[in-house]
Amino acid sequence: MSSVTLYSVAYSIAAILLGGLAHLFPAPVHGWLISGDVVTALATVIFAAILLAASMLNTILLIWYERKLLGRFMDRRGAMHVGYAGLLQNFADGLKLFRKDTVRPGQADPLGFWLSPTAYMVTSLVIFGLLPISTGWNGGSLPLTLLLALVIFSFAPLFIFLGAWASNNKYSLIGGMRSAAQMIAYEVPILLAVVAVVVLAGSFDLNTIVLEQRNYWFWAPLFLALIVFLTGMLAEMERIPFDLPEAEAELVEGWNTEYGGMLFAFFMLADYLRALVGSILVVLLFLGGWTLPSYIPAALTSFPLAGIVWFMVKTYLVFGLFVWVRASLPRIRTDQLLRLGWMRMVPLALLSVILAALVVLARCLPLIGCVPSMGG
Amino acid sequence: MTHGLWNLRVRIEGEIIKDVEPEMGYLHRGIEKISEDRHYNEIITLMDRTCYVAGLAWEHLFIVAAEQALHVTPPERAEYIRVLSAELQRIASHLMWYSAFVQDLGLMTPFLYGMRDRDLILDLFQSYTGGRLTYEYMRVGGVRSDLPLGFTQRCRQVVDWLMDRFVEYDQLCLSSTIFHERCDGLGVLLEPEAVAYGVTGPMLRSAGSHRDLRKDRPYSVYDKLQFQVATASTADVTGRYLVRMEEMRQSVRIVRQCLDWLDDHPGPVMAEHLPRWLGAPYAPMGNESYLLKRNYPTGVGLSMMEEPHGEAGAYVVNDGGEHPYRVKFRSPVLINIWAAKRYLPGYRVADIPPIMGSVDVCVGECDR
Repeated sequence: MSSVTLYSVAYSIAAILLGGLAHLFPAPVHGWLISGDVVTALATVIFAAILLAASMLNTILLIWYERKLLGRFMDRRGAMHVGYAGLLQNFADGLKLFRKDTVRPGQADPLGFWLSPTAYMVTSLVIFGLLPISTGWNGGSLPLTLLLALVIFSFAPLFIFLGAWASNNKYSLIGGMRSAAQMIAYEVPILLAVVAVVVLAGSFDLNTIVLEQRNYWFWAPLFLALIVFLTGMLAEMERIPFDLPEAEAELVEGWNTEYGGMLFAFFMLADYLRALVGSILVVLLFLGGWTLPSYIPAALTSFPLAGIVWFMVKTYLVFGLFVWVRASLPRIRTDQLLRLGWMRMVPLALLSVILAALVVLARCLPLIGCVPSMGG
Repeated sequence: MTHGLWNLRVRIEGEIIKDVEPEMGYLHRGIEKISEDRHYNEIITLMDRTCYVAGLAWEHLFIVAAEQALHVTPPERAEYIRVLSAELQRIASHLMWYSAFVQDLGLMTPFLYGMRDRDLILDLFQSYTGGRLTYEYMRVGGVRSDLPLGFTQRCRQVVDWLMDRFVEYDQLCLSSTIFHERCDGLGVLLEPEAVAYGVTGPMLRSAGSHRDLRKDRPYSVYDKLQFQVATASTADVTGRYLVRMEEMRQSVRIVRQCLDWLDDHPGPVMAEHLPRWLGAPYAPMGNESYLLKRNYPTGVGLSMMEEPHGEAGAYVVNDGGEHPYRVKFRSPVLINIWAAKRYLPGYRVADIPPIMGSVDVCVGECDR
């Protein structure tokens, strides 16, 4: 693997840009422009822009992928007319929403109404800076990346509830309350499943977690945790069978009833951003991230950007699973959802933590035998 | 509600339903009154609009009552075509119900499957009536036209395909734990209460009753056809699902018998010697005295039929003339909805869509 990282690419672009720009200015400005601090600052901005563009592009592609896949499950074709096989359909939809007037109901609270979609979108985007797509392709490797990502991920119910309350519509409010209750309930099993992974990997750093999976992917010892995590993620994404906040038969469109135009597009995009984050987390935590098992021929793993390609393939397969679930399951009821969360998912997650601990113990057994000799 | 133009007022305590009151009447078109000014064959047009998902069943219902009132007997081939149409319509109507019902549960895929397969039946209808939703096919004294060439072959293919799809539907619903979580034990309406409220059709049969007018009071040629009455014992949403699924299978059975009979018995599909004012297509022309002298019969006609939604009734009073004196219909759905006062309270707000979905609401027929 080459040592090209996303940051080094951004840095090179920044250096070239500033180098060219500096020639237009006299010496003092010239020197300041090519100083390390300025280049670093610009590199950070470019880095963020690349990340933003990549995540948005992937999200829109994800929507297309879901539409096509769902269409096939339903014995139809999905979007077909704009672009090749409807690839540009979502861009067209986005453009249409962008051109629409954004209407705020007269009784709605302006601050909450505007803040909620923006904050929902921003918090969903921030997570992408933390997720390593391949070696060196993330914003930075903090020791607690995973924890930070999950913390930001769990901001969502707050903003959804804020938006629902601010729209001053009873269906929005009920949807928002359902949504908040649901997301908070499923945070717990998700975090416990993550704890199982952390116990096995011994780190909160996503890079380390992926590296720890070089011998075996974690889904095998932590199958239970994977199931819990997938279920929890379905609930967090508010997808069928857990899409009660948007149950159209009962609540018009749930918490985003009053939102139209670009604000609705924000919610929609943020939902899919979160779905993408969820799929990426599944790949990182359970499916070995960008690595492939050693029995895969080297030709398949050593081409340029192989890590990213395989990572995306895995991510889209995981998301395909979510789409499959959406195509085949009915919606469950609020009380059943909460019962399932607290009485089934939490014990299972706890069990998977114990299993992870046992695996770690089994791994350490040879070492324990060594302890006396080491002491002696 | 998602099933057309009606409201359901619900009084709740928390999530629990305490009382309900359906609000009907948004789709009232005065069909019974309009019928008094219309020629018998013009009322058929209204019948298609009475229940827009079971047009042929309602045409059949009215036409039998009208023929009684007018003392006309249709040829047997027309009877078989009518029964064939009614049973195909029952499948189409149940598929429509299935689609709407599963969509209330959040299942999008079977919704599209149901609509896709219903389209095949609509194609069949189109091939011999020309219409896909409003057919205007039956006439006093028979049916408008005979089946086209190769129809029985195509129809057999369609019902064979449907029998395979029914298995798929069951797999999508019954084998899902969530489906049972959402439907088992909901909207229970036991047989004595159902009878007391006048509830009929699949809702009554899901409570263990065997009442089916096709067996109990055979009309048309049902007494010559072999089929079983679909029943369930749970009296809940799942029971209604099972009853309707089984009814579709039994309907396929009836359709196959009808097709076999129709293959073997070619013949006229309109009664001969109909008075010209009844619009007989081959009435002799040129006999002016026949045109001028109109001997209007008088009479009363009553038909009760097992329509896809329940027991429908038509009562036609003919006091001599080209249009009836009075027409009265019994709508099964209206009565099934009003029993909601009995089978909804005690359940949760989120249970309303599956329970009301299991009733199979057709507002056009309630409001008429």
